[in-house]
Formats: sequence, C-alpha cells, structure tokens
Amino acid sequence: MITCGIDVGSLSAEAAIFVDRNLEAYSLIRTGPDSAETALSALKVALEKTAILQQDIEFTVATGYGRVIVPFADRNISEISCHAKGAHYFHPSVRTILDMGGQDCKAIRCDENGKVTSFIMNDKCAAGTGRAMEVMASLLQIQLEEIGVRSLEFDGNPVKISNTCVIFAKSEVLSLMREGVPINEILAGLCDSVAERVKALLQRLGIEDDFVISGGISKNSGVVKRLEQKLDVCAHIPEEPQIVGAVGSALFARDLLNRQ
Amino acid sequence: MITAGIDIGHQSVNAVILENNRIISHVTRVIAGEVEAAARTVFYGMLNQAGMTAARIERLFATGVGREKVTFADGNRTEMLCHVQGSHWLFPAARTVIDVGAEGSRILRCDSQGNLTNFVMNDKCASGAGVFLETVAEMMQIPPSEMGPISLDSSKKVVLTTTCAVFAESEIVAEVHRGSAKEDILAGVHESIAAKIASVTKRVGIEPELIFTGGVALNIGVVRALEKQLELDIQVPKDPEIVGALGAAILAKKSGLIS
Repeated sequence: MITCGIDVGSLSAEAAIFVDRNLEAYSLIRTGPDSAETALSALKVALEKTAILQQDIEFTVATGYGRVIVPFADRNISEISCHAKGAHYFHPSVRTILDMGGQDCKAIRCDENGKVTSFIMNDKCAAGTGRAMEVMASLLQIQLEEIGVRSLEFDGNPVKISNTCVIFAKSEVLSLMREGVPINEILAGLCDSVAERVKALLQRLGIEDDFVISGGISKNSGVVKRLEQKLDVCAHIPEEPQIVGAVGSALFARDLLNRQ
Repeated sequence: MITAGIDIGHQSVNAVILENNRIISHVTRVIAGEVEAAARTVFYGMLNQAGMTAARIERLFATGVGREKVTFADGNRTEMLCHVQGSHWLFPAARTVIDVGAEGSRILRCDSQGNLTNFVMNDKCASGAGVFLETVAEMMQIPPSEMGPISLDSSKKVVLTTTCAVFAESEIVAEVHRGSAKEDILAGVHESIAAKIASVTKRVGIEPELIFTGGVALNIGVVRALEKQLELDIQVPKDPEIVGALGAAILAKKSGLIS
C-alpha cells in the first residue's frame, strides 16, 4: 500500500511517501509563491529518491496552511491532527507536542493512539514563531541555523528583549547593537524571549510526558535548551522534525485507504 | 505670557511656542542620533525661526516617551494629559482623542473642560501603529505622504486577513505578485490599521467629537477608513503631529498661572 502526505506550510513544504507503515522517502523544500506548484515540486523531489512513480500512489492527504490548494490530494486534514499522528509515529509515548513553524506555533495534547485531545495555537502574531527568528537572522546578518548554537556560546543572564512585537523588537535589537552588546548575547536574549512565549502557551495547555518538539524551531538548540530549563522537562526531537506533519498526513491516507 | 512645549516621540520631536493664546512657531523633526541633542536642536531651531532667545520663554514643558531626557525643560507632563489639552484647545467640543504615533496608539477621553477622564493604549503591537505604514511605504516604494491620496482611488477591495504586521508584509507581497493595483492594496492596508485602532477605541468608549492626532492622522486613507468603521466624523488638526507639544505648552502656561 503506497500513500503520500503533503504538508504545505507558509515557509516550507514537505512530502512523505509511505509503503505500508514505513517511511520510504521524503522531501523538504521552500514554499514558492504558488502553493499548487510548491506541492507538486515537494512530491517530485520525494519521488526522485525512490523507484515509486506518481501513479503508484494510492491515496494522498494534504495538510498545512496551503492544504486546500493541493491539486492531486484526495483529502485534506488539519495540521493539528497530522502533527499529533506524525509525532506519535516517531515517538509512540508522546502526549504533548510543540510544533513551531514559520508562521504559527501550536501546542497539542494527544492520547496513546496519537489522537488529538486538546490544542492551543498562535497564528495571529509573529512573536514566538519561526518568522521572528528569520527576521532577526536577516537583521543581524547571520544564518538562521547559527542562531541556536551561537546563543548557547553566551554564558549567564543575557540582555532582556522587552518588546513582544517583532517589529518593535527589531528596533530594540538595533539599539542593543549600537550600544555594543555582543551578537551572541543578543541571540541568547532572543532565544530566551521566544522560549518564554512558548512556555506560556504550553502552560495554558498543560504538559504531560513525553514531550516532543517538531517544526523548524526544534532545530534551534538555543530555544529548545532554554525551554527545557524553564519547564523542567526533556524534549524529544524527531530525526527530521520538519516532516512530522507530512508523515502524519501520509498515515491518515493509509487509514482512509484501509477504510475504503 | 510665552511658554513652549516639546514632545519627544519614538521617532520624531515636535515643539511649539505659545504666546498668549496663539501658536507663534512650531517645528517637527525626525530624531537622528542622541535624544537630548535632537531635542536641543529642535528647540533652538524653533527659537531661531521665531526670532527669539531662550530667555523669553517663561516655561518649557516636555512630554512624550523621551520627556525625561529633556534636561533643559522646566517640567514634564504625560503625553495623555498633553494630547487631551492640545486637542481641547484646538477643538473645544473634543471628547475623544485618538492619537496614533510611530509605535503605538492611545485613545483618550476628556470632559468639557479638557480634563482627562479615561484612556487605553496599545504600545505592544505594531499592527495599529505608524511603523506599519512606513514599512508598507518602503515595500511598495511609495512616499508615506502619498499613500493616503493614492488609496482613495481604490475601486476593488483587497482584504488583509492577518493581524500581525510581520505577516501582513507577506500578504502584501502576495497581492503584488497577484497583480492587485497599488491603490487597492493600500486601501486594504488602511482598512486593516483602522480596524485595529477602532477596536482599541471601542474599548474605551466613544463620545463625539472625535479628534485624530499624531503622525498617522496625516494619512487621509486611514482617517476615512476609521470614520467608516466607527460611523462617525473625525476632526483632524492642521498639524496633527504637534498636538502633544501644544498641550505641553498650554500646561506650562496653566502651571505658571497657578504659581
């Protein structure tokens, strides 16, 4: 049984191809201006890694912000459900998931089958989303990937970024740079403020072990480490944390196909 | 009696000289560099423009977020008090003042004597503030002063669905790629910022007349959108940016009369 999951997010898109219950191949690409085209290229990149052809795929489920415009999908399912299912695939004892993507942040609770029991999300404000990190990386002229590692090179209590709004925080960071605050310390302050915002979201929902972090933010060790300290928990991170939604949707495709 | 007021905002300095009951000089400048130096430059530049020496100013009051940094002022008052004073002086029927500057908005209520009775402010989120308009102006390469007039030519509605100014930037880029006309996009931006200002305004309650002050009031597109959303006429002073400084000068005068 061959199924496919496609997750079209605001900044990146992923495809996951499953043969029975095994992840056969996946892709991770940047979202282009046209969501339909983006979805198709994500699929093609994944297919290139296998001998499977597009016509071999028996069922496709789309998820993510652009899920309704994936032309070749048979169904679409909300990213909340898909993230829970995907996290459960990678880590069967998961009960709480934090997924932070490019343009939103979700805290999800699920049961022992990976079924969503409750969730809270922020998709209204860029603070505490991947976008905040992108804006700051470009302001400080460093790579997004460097933020976490460099922030951990700073020891002690970093300077506090007092503005929540990303636009106001940008001016705040500029004046800190002018005052000569080292970049690594500013990065530590930024990671701390993101962790603080995410912590508030998770506390509203309540955390039950095991705790899994998915989405782009889980690649930022500066945010992950600080969040673990603040919440006094250990976070489990899937090997490829950005494909969790796509994996969940491919598994939903399998369930739907089985039911037919 | 000659008094002066100086208003140090996030981005600009405004100053006013008041002689008896008349504004005899006023200046608006963008802050470049150190705040106190900028305040001095503006104050002495204004004196120069009025052909006066500092000694003729009986009392100078400072206001705005940077008011404490004006060490040469005789006193300072909050921007809430000053905006209400200035608005009430310009429009005696004023009861609600909407002040929107670069980094936030304040909605102020006052009584028939111009006393502040209530206020709410938003300085946490850029989506209802002037910086958002500036970002859009830069993205679309349109001078900020032309945004308002251009948007009035809009014939097709563009709706921005996101609240956050950072997310709105991506929506605007998508609209540009989709080929939407600039006047329609700008009108959508103005509707969006007006909606945020309107929601804060409704929290404090509205009583006419409504006065709109601060740099954002210079944008006719935002003024019209806000009038439509609140279903009320709005008065905009000729120089909406100097109302805080004017209020400080009035309070400097009143304080002189008491002592």
